[in-house]
Amino acid sequence: MEPVIRVEHLKKYFATPGGPLHAVDDVTFSIEAGKTLGVVGESGCGKSTLGRTIIHLHESTDGKIFLDGRDITRLKGKELRQAREKMQIIFQDPYSSIDPRKTISSTVMEPLKVSGRYSRKEIADKTAELMSLVGIDERLRLAYPHELDGGRRQRVGIARALALDPKFVVCDEPVSALDVSIQAQVLNLLKKLQQDKGLTYMFVTHDMSVVRHISDDICVMYLGQVVEKCPSKELFAMPLHPYTKALLSAIPSTDIDNPTKREILKGELTSPINPKPGCRFAARCPFATEACEQPQVQEEVSPGHFVRCCRIREVN
Amino acid sequence: MPDNNKTQLPFLDIKDLVVEYVSDGEIVHAVNGVDLHLERGKTLGLVGETGAGKTTIAKSILRILPDVGAKICGGQVHLDGENLLELQEVDMRKIRGNKISMIFQDPMTALNPVQTVGDQIAEVVHLHLEHGDHTDPVARAKEMLEIVGIPAERYHEYPHQFSGGMKQRVVIAIALACNPDLLLADEPTTALDVTIQAQVLDLIGDLRKKYNTAMLLITHDMGVVAQVCDDVAVIYAGTILEYGTKRQVFKHPTHPYTIGLFGAIPDMNEDEEWLHPIDGLPPDPTNLPKGCAFSPRCPYATDECRKEPIKIYKTPDGHDCRCCRMGAIAKKEG
Repeated sequence: MEPVIRVEHLKKYFATPGGPLHAVDDVTFSIEAGKTLGVVGESGCGKSTLGRTIIHLHESTDGKIFLDGRDITRLKGKELRQAREKMQIIFQDPYSSIDPRKTISSTVMEPLKVSGRYSRKEIADKTAELMSLVGIDERLRLAYPHELDGGRRQRVGIARALALDPKFVVCDEPVSALDVSIQAQVLNLLKKLQQDKGLTYMFVTHDMSVVRHISDDICVMYLGQVVEKCPSKELFAMPLHPYTKALLSAIPSTDIDNPTKREILKGELTSPINPKPGCRFAARCPFATEACEQPQVQEEVSPGHFVRCCRIREVN
Repeated sequence: MPDNNKTQLPFLDIKDLVVEYVSDGEIVHAVNGVDLHLERGKTLGLVGETGAGKTTIAKSILRILPDVGAKICGGQVHLDGENLLELQEVDMRKIRGNKISMIFQDPMTALNPVQTVGDQIAEVVHLHLEHGDHTDPVARAKEMLEIVGIPAERYHEYPHQFSGGMKQRVVIAIALACNPDLLLADEPTTALDVTIQAQVLDLIGDLRKKYNTAMLLITHDMGVVAQVCDDVAVIYAGTILEYGTKRQVFKHPTHPYTIGLFGAIPDMNEDEEWLHPIDGLPPDPTNLPKGCAFSPRCPYATDECRKEPIKIYKTPDGHDCRCCRMGAIAKKEG
């Protein structure tokens, strides 16, 4: 079956005074219908930019994007608008991604109006349906965002993203601004909606316990590149890339009898502006050698498990 | 202050602290009778969700609540036997940054963007120089930079030239420059990535050990608490619901809210189809329930819970739990 989303050698560079910033650099993957791809990495690694580039909020620098097998990389005008209906995004911050001067219902119905496909009556019906779908009380129809807590606001963002029945939704850190008890409510909602509507998600987050819970496959990004990609369970059971290992070991465990043995990484992310051709993690990597100064290729080490590291056999 | 008082009280002793804010003519009950205690060299984790009153407690200890709108209505905060709430402002100023210092949550806003990072550290040292003390603030600032792992050559750089993790290290250097006895750390790693969080937590731990500093760690991350703290207090709507050693609270969580909080975190070791959120929302702090603040969301609540404020009960392993149905719940859930 054709995957819903497929990207090939996708690149997004931003021009900066210091040279091109490689936000997304040569990323290749696909997501099957109804599945969730988790994208993890530290701030500045390009995970949000990747999501935004796929749905054309940024124009890609190079590479190809396929939606349902159709190349949508260079679409313009009306065709682009039609393709965009199928791809939506839920933003991180429910406080800044909703217009504070619009009522909840007018925020939810805006995509319906813009599409121009629905009559007034249909818009009203569909808005009510969407609000009940995400669990917002009918009485809040005319409320403004400031009257709502973070969890409810995020539900409004979800309703708006689902208004036009998309196939593919980029969830860009949708729960990181929420408290744990509310976070669980929203994660359950996202999962239920996926099952009911057969949605395909790309779930961007820095929270490893959340990504483990929600994803089928996981991509680990470091400075614009995917360093490891494999099924979610396998990543946690058998991480292969040195960065993934360090990332997983840094998660503070709630098990007080088995405190995590942390591999403390030295240094921090280096600049993604004009990066050197070799492995971008080499500067912090305890296993780095001269071979790491060459460009690294993505290798399929076992079925469905991709790693970008030339020393993987020595390391493991 | 009589000497015997010094020996009887814990190093930091907060008793019955009540703080209110006035907003739009309504009274926000932010902190409602909180008791906490902390010994030298120990770490107490204060855990709770947004708006539970965690930061307000820390700011009350330092007396840096906003002048307008916020009021400490009652209680005592003893540090080393001295009630901070009764001190004159001049005396309080000598304590801030010197005996007690605070690490703020967001390193991006805690630093002054138009002053070099070195000068910001030196300023604290300079302000707290005693008469006859010949410490060179600049030399001390350079030493602090090295201690937190930043080369002293970067003394003359500005905050925007630093990454988030390095900025937070500068904030830590400022907080520790005068070897405080008490460190108030308000979500010190929330704005940081996990690999950097691990570095910063390690750094704080090492420095605390070296100087025997007591720390009040405010966080919402149970994992951080598990790694760093000795004792844990769980706070909800301005009231401590459960309080004990880390082992007691993590091994035998007893209050339904604490149990719910643990249950809502996605489990790293087990696969579960659905998470277990706590239904509902935290109560409106201008209109708190008469009885237990958690009762509207509690699956075990009965009329008894809604009648009057709940007192503190002792759990079988001897820690504090503010729940009158504690015994019945334990029986029901086995």
